[in-house]
Amino acid sequence: MNNDRLAPWAAYLIVGVGALIMLAPFYFMFVFATQSRTEIFSLPPPMWFGDDFFNNLKILTERIPFWRNLGWSLYVAIASTALTLLFCSMGGYAFGCFEFRYKNALFAFVMATMLLPSFMNMIPSFMVMDALGWIDQPRALYIPGAASAFGIFLMRQFVVTSVPKDLIEAARMDGCSELGIYWRIVLPLLKPALGTLGLITFIASWNNFMGPLIVMRSPENYTLPLALRSLQSPVDTEWGALMTGSAIATIPLLILFMMSSRQLISGLTAGAVK
Amino acid sequence: MGQVTLKGIRKSFGKVDVIRGIDLEVHDGEFMVFVGPSGCGKSTTLRMIAGLETISEGELLIGGQRANDLRPADRGAAMVFQSYALYPHMTVAENMGFALKMAGVAKAQRNEQVGRAAEILRITELLGRYPKELSGGQRQRVAIGRAIVRKPMVFLFDEPLSNLDAALRVNMRIELSRLHKELGATMIYVTHDQVEAMTMGDRIAVFNGGVVEQLGSPMDLYNRPANEFVAGFIGAPRINLVDRPGDGSSTTHRALWDVLATGAPAQARRVGLRPEHLHLVGVEHGVLARVELAEHLGDSSIIYLRVEGLDTLLSAKVGAGNQHVEPGQAVGLAPDAAWALSFDVHRRLAPGS
Repeated sequence: MNNDRLAPWAAYLIVGVGALIMLAPFYFMFVFATQSRTEIFSLPPPMWFGDDFFNNLKILTERIPFWRNLGWSLYVAIASTALTLLFCSMGGYAFGCFEFRYKNALFAFVMATMLLPSFMNMIPSFMVMDALGWIDQPRALYIPGAASAFGIFLMRQFVVTSVPKDLIEAARMDGCSELGIYWRIVLPLLKPALGTLGLITFIASWNNFMGPLIVMRSPENYTLPLALRSLQSPVDTEWGALMTGSAIATIPLLILFMMSSRQLISGLTAGAVK
Repeated sequence: MGQVTLKGIRKSFGKVDVIRGIDLEVHDGEFMVFVGPSGCGKSTTLRMIAGLETISEGELLIGGQRANDLRPADRGAAMVFQSYALYPHMTVAENMGFALKMAGVAKAQRNEQVGRAAEILRITELLGRYPKELSGGQRQRVAIGRAIVRKPMVFLFDEPLSNLDAALRVNMRIELSRLHKELGATMIYVTHDQVEAMTMGDRIAVFNGGVVEQLGSPMDLYNRPANEFVAGFIGAPRINLVDRPGDGSSTTHRALWDVLATGAPAQARRVGLRPEHLHLVGVEHGVLARVELAEHLGDSSIIYLRVEGLDTLLSAKVGAGNQHVEPGQAVGLAPDAAWALSFDVHRRLAPGS
């Protein structure tokens, strides 16, 4: 009996400590966003919010075109998500529901691209973007990743388990064109998977540092990760401003995540059990 | 106008021939049933008529027009699937009106036609609901309604009653027959259930291994089956088949054969007798047999009998009043040889039987 009463408390304690450790960096980021540079480095460090938020904001916007960078991040993330959803759903539908020559070889090829470590892409990526004249343009960020292998795989798995073949045949008998079947029948049924993939893609695009690092040149065209990095220098980092920028950068993701966290979990496990 | 003609239809998947030559004609307004065991090709043939499978060889005519290369929606045929295939994200009304929407029919007219079909099937109060809110029988009706709305020349049913419970199945059978009379349309119905075939079809095509074994009216198939397969497939319980006795056969086997094969032609290698024509009499008056099992259905009983020298059990169907038999009891068999069917060495019905 003692064990029964002890165990839940012990579990809560361990989980609680773990949660504190995980959340501490975020908490301190928000706290430091409201403190000045000197206050951040004082000992002991501040535990509660200060009053330097607007000061930090002023420094931030003087040093970098912060709002413009935020705008670019938003633009690239939305474009990236929209294109990914479109092409990956088409690809997943094609691989899941159609028969065509070399289908298995093509699918294996697409899956194989996931095996390549991303750092191997860096130089070839740069060379291709340079040849196309896309260096320093946002399209270099959202077009190359538009049909990701992971997205195609996720969509294909979902289509196979959630769109019965009968439904597509019934639509053909009803006179629906193939594109119509994709748009009116398959896509509405893919909503959970689209939600999941959309969320994952948005987050990945928002946090992407390496991609913009390779192709972006001018500070006005930077996305947030790059812009915030440029605030840092060996001698003269404005930590307060950096924290403020980071905190603001987190907010859209937090909003998005709160709106769809249930969606994400159900989407990731969809199709796992038939 | 709604006749369907199949000429020399063949279908192969790669090197495998699944449909090996089908020639038949479904008359306008007829209710034709394709029946057969699993894997016999009846569904594949139906799907070829619908346009969901390509035809490897042969010609398909719908309404007198060659339809091999027409899109499914252009053939004038509507299909009711075994799984109903209702669009889950659309209401019943939207499901039923979908084909009309694809054809560009105006909304007002769409609603009118959908309303009329819903009335025929008595599902008007379900029009605003979604498929997941409906019972199996209701979904079935919506699937049929979706087909009716298109006013097709031919209705194609792919085992539509398989997913329903027994009581509902009987009701829907009656519904479908009523619908056929009301609409007067050509209907092709695929099933593996020979009871459905016998009760619903004007004519039945018995499929086996990619060919049609026999095409005819239900009573034709029952009384004059073309071969042993049809004889064994149609009718429940299964027809009794007794081989011509050889050198090592028992006396009871010979005695039974002598009675059964009275009047049978010389080529007869096997004789079939339906259970209702196998009568039970006192031990002294008939061929000796022992009761193995009695199944009581209420209005009738099926008695399974073991005859010495025969490998399989014989079955006799007796009416109420003649059911007092115990397992192990000895009885006499008195087959009514007038109803015996003789099969030759090729398993076909021997002429003169």
